[in-house]
Amino acid sequence: MKTLKAFSRRLRGLLHAHRAENDFAAELDSHVAMHVEDGMSAGLSAEEARRQALIKLGGLEQTRQAYRERVTLVWFENLVRDVRYALRMLVRQRAVTAVAVVSIGLGIGANATIFSMVSRFVLRPAPVGDPSTLLSLQIIPDKESCCNKFSWPLYQDMRDDARSFSSVAAYYDLLPASIGGSGEPERVWGQATTTNFFDTLELPMVLGRSFTNDEDSKQVIVLGEALWRRRFGGDPTIVGSTILLSGRTFTVIGIAPAAFHSIEQILNAQFWVPLGTAAQLVPNLPQKSARDYHWLAIAARMRPEVTRVQVRAELNTLAARFAQSFPATDKGEQFVMEQAGGLQMRDRTSALIFLGALLLVVLLLLAIAAANVANLLFAQAANRQRDMAVRLALGATRARLQRQMLIESTLMATCGGVLGVLLSLWSTRGLSAVKLPAPVPLDLHIGIDWRVLLFCFVLSVLSGVLLGIGPAWAAARPLVASALKGEEALARPGRKLTLRNLLMIAQMAMSVVLLSATVLFLRSLQGAASINIGFNPHGTLIFSVDPRLHGYTAERTVNFLNQLRDRVAALPGVANVVCTDVAPLSGGNRSDGFTAPGESGKKKPFTYADLYMVTPGYFKTLGISLLAGHDFGNDAAGGPRMAVINKTFADRLFHGLNPVGRQVNGPKGPYEIIGVVADVKSRTLGEQTRPILYRSLAQSVESDPSFMGYTLIVKTAGDPAVLSEAVRRQVYALDPAMAIYNEETMEEHVRTAYVLPNLGAALFGIFGSIGVTLATTGLYGVIDYSVSRRTREIGIRIALGARPGTVERLFLRQGLVLTLIALALGWPAAWMLTKIAASLLYGVQPHDAVTFFTVPLLLVAVALGACWIPARRAALVDPIQTLRTE
Amino acid sequence: MGERTDVWQGTLALMVLRTLETMGAQHGYGLARRIEQISGDKLQLNYGTLYPALLKLEQEGTIRSHWGVSENNRRAKFYELTKAGQRELRKATAEWEQTTEILARFLAQGGEA
Repeated sequence: MKTLKAFSRRLRGLLHAHRAENDFAAELDSHVAMHVEDGMSAGLSAEEARRQALIKLGGLEQTRQAYRERVTLVWFENLVRDVRYALRMLVRQRAVTAVAVVSIGLGIGANATIFSMVSRFVLRPAPVGDPSTLLSLQIIPDKESCCNKFSWPLYQDMRDDARSFSSVAAYYDLLPASIGGSGEPERVWGQATTTNFFDTLELPMVLGRSFTNDEDSKQVIVLGEALWRRRFGGDPTIVGSTILLSGRTFTVIGIAPAAFHSIEQILNAQFWVPLGTAAQLVPNLPQKSARDYHWLAIAARMRPEVTRVQVRAELNTLAARFAQSFPATDKGEQFVMEQAGGLQMRDRTSALIFLGALLLVVLLLLAIAAANVANLLFAQAANRQRDMAVRLALGATRARLQRQMLIESTLMATCGGVLGVLLSLWSTRGLSAVKLPAPVPLDLHIGIDWRVLLFCFVLSVLSGVLLGIGPAWAAARPLVASALKGEEALARPGRKLTLRNLLMIAQMAMSVVLLSATVLFLRSLQGAASINIGFNPHGTLIFSVDPRLHGYTAERTVNFLNQLRDRVAALPGVANVVCTDVAPLSGGNRSDGFTAPGESGKKKPFTYADLYMVTPGYFKTLGISLLAGHDFGNDAAGGPRMAVINKTFADRLFHGLNPVGRQVNGPKGPYEIIGVVADVKSRTLGEQTRPILYRSLAQSVESDPSFMGYTLIVKTAGDPAVLSEAVRRQVYALDPAMAIYNEETMEEHVRTAYVLPNLGAALFGIFGSIGVTLATTGLYGVIDYSVSRRTREIGIRIALGARPGTVERLFLRQGLVLTLIALALGWPAAWMLTKIAASLLYGVQPHDAVTFFTVPLLLVAVALGACWIPARRAALVDPIQTLRTE
Repeated sequence: MGERTDVWQGTLALMVLRTLETMGAQHGYGLARRIEQISGDKLQLNYGTLYPALLKLEQEGTIRSHWGVSENNRRAKFYELTKAGQRELRKATAEWEQTTEILARFLAQGGEA
């Protein structure tokens, strides 16, 4: 503390050094004068008194010097001087600096981009009051590895019994609703919470207040700031007024801050209503009394005096107690807790692998870039050996020269870091625009925050020091005698494997790994493109409506959908219109467990199948071929329930027997199978083909309404995008308040499903090409340097009769040997590391033969190309010229 | 002139602080004379080393300085103790007393053996 204070004063002293010196001169004058006076009064002559005083002082100049060193920080002054000198050097060697800054900039830029994802999804705490004491609780059911939500009775028990928490809140994490306000009707997502939700989060409102204890079943609503600004123009008087939410009036009581979109930071909720009102907004909401229905997420605020170990102990005690009181539902259950707002446990492992793999790749990229720059600096050091030798001869210490070089390289890397951060501003914006195929609203915005900046700063300084150490060490110990004579002074006689060659090999080996990953992901893209999605998206427009959110009954919903289909079908150019609940490849869907009478119970109790509601003509419209039986007719809503199943489901349940005419039993009763259709990809592109059961929309809306609304599929001979306006008009003609969402052409929709293979290929394509380019220029640099160093030797060889071809081969061989060593190191490393990527690949194995065969060939070809240019130059050396100049 | 000792590392600061506490505000020359005088002229104090030491104390915030007029009507820079300086002095004094006490015990024990 004391030292720190002194340090800051001395830092400030730098600014006032001149004034302090004058001040001290005056003080010293008065000191000497007083001493002389005393001496004279003791009887000495003026001259003798002054002599005595100066002796006692220990010399005027010495005192001044000692004082000056204390006023400011001498080492700091030196540092400033070195930095200034380094800047001059960097400017003088513009070309080298530019190449170095760009190389490091690309490396840091890639790191900043990837780390901004790590920062956003892993490190950033939830935007709530004191995130460190807010916990998310989950259940691990008996004999399972991951987690489930809470039932209402379990939440109540936790809230009432747990002593570790000052407050426990529950929320239903996503519910759709149509919302009023300005502009076209819109469907938005929100959350239904217990009334203590915002108090537990300690989240202050931007405007108004949060829920009070007695408002659980009152129709009040808290709006997110973004929604408030977008749909209500940021109206400051909105608190107290009513708005329409799914056709019901809710009173706005507060505005939540823009940074908050749910505790799970990946979700994008925009409004909050009390849990007691949720039943009006969501069909089939679970009964509150059911202890075996897990539907509520839990956030708990720890008491300040309680530690996490104590919380964990209490949760274990409670789990044991609940298991005893409710053996039917709670037996074997464990509670897990984690800091609220982190990655959700279920996806954590795969997300961490994905980010870890990316981070590894970009760090490799930076290492390649740094090795490249280090090589450049070696070459530069060779050019500066004379300068260094002169300074050494004049008495500079090696440490001083090394420090000088290190400052240069660190400065270079820091400039690179700044460039990198600028690049990542652009790249993160691009990445934020990526839309993931998911059925729920996600907030995937990433940006540069302080964690990213800190990471980049540390990384730049570190790489600056690391890449500078070798060259600095080498440059500071030239053979002074040789250097002063103008001879090569850095290459020690008799040394074959130089540091530069080692760096080169490391760099090439790393690019083998990088290139393997790149080719693998390009192959994966190719693999993804050849995946048969099972339906034809061409010439199709899709859009969704959810009449239930506008207060429609099941019957009115079916009528509305029928009328809409008729109206749209009558539009010019429209060939066919069908309706489903969710379009395929939407990222997730409902599924149920089914059994076949007489077939079940052998191995597995249930076969899980995805459920789709369809109207007659669905299969024809999407080009899904009917393999057996027939399509739906106009089945009566109340009649026996019909189903069409896909081939995988038929195979799995009936083992090759003809299923048509048989029954399957689901949790909501039996279905009669009327047809079998070809397989389609149901949720995601990369999935193993899943069993699917299609049921009649007319028969399902009443008993099992869709949570996600209903999607119309419009087939046209022409461009589906131009239909959009006409279709919208038909919807508004039936109900001007109906919200339309997820409107896009089916081809756009399918393209979204390709986002992961595309993203992988794009990222690795960019990283891989940068890495290989850097490594290649590095190799070129090494061979080029070696040629220029050996010009005289080449001249002599040629003069003695060596043919140009021989000389050329000499250098090609040198490059080839380096490349082969690098391959021998990098290839096995790539073989091992690409295994990590297995889960991210489509239709290729991580040990893909094509990849591991082409990468070495590709690299050797590129390396030979890079060596050929300087080798060619060597072959064209004119012996007379070189021998004369030397 | 008897035996004269060089000032031990670190003790000069303590002497300065203590002297300022007993004498109040004082200029550099006065301080130097006073320290020598108290030591019974046993200390070999190089006056020039006093100034960087004073500057260090000032930078650390234990003393502060201002220009004033000496008893002989000469312009001089006066130093005085700050609040933090008083605390620092108490702490250093206690530490020093403890050290010397411990050392004294060791030396006494050596005498008996």
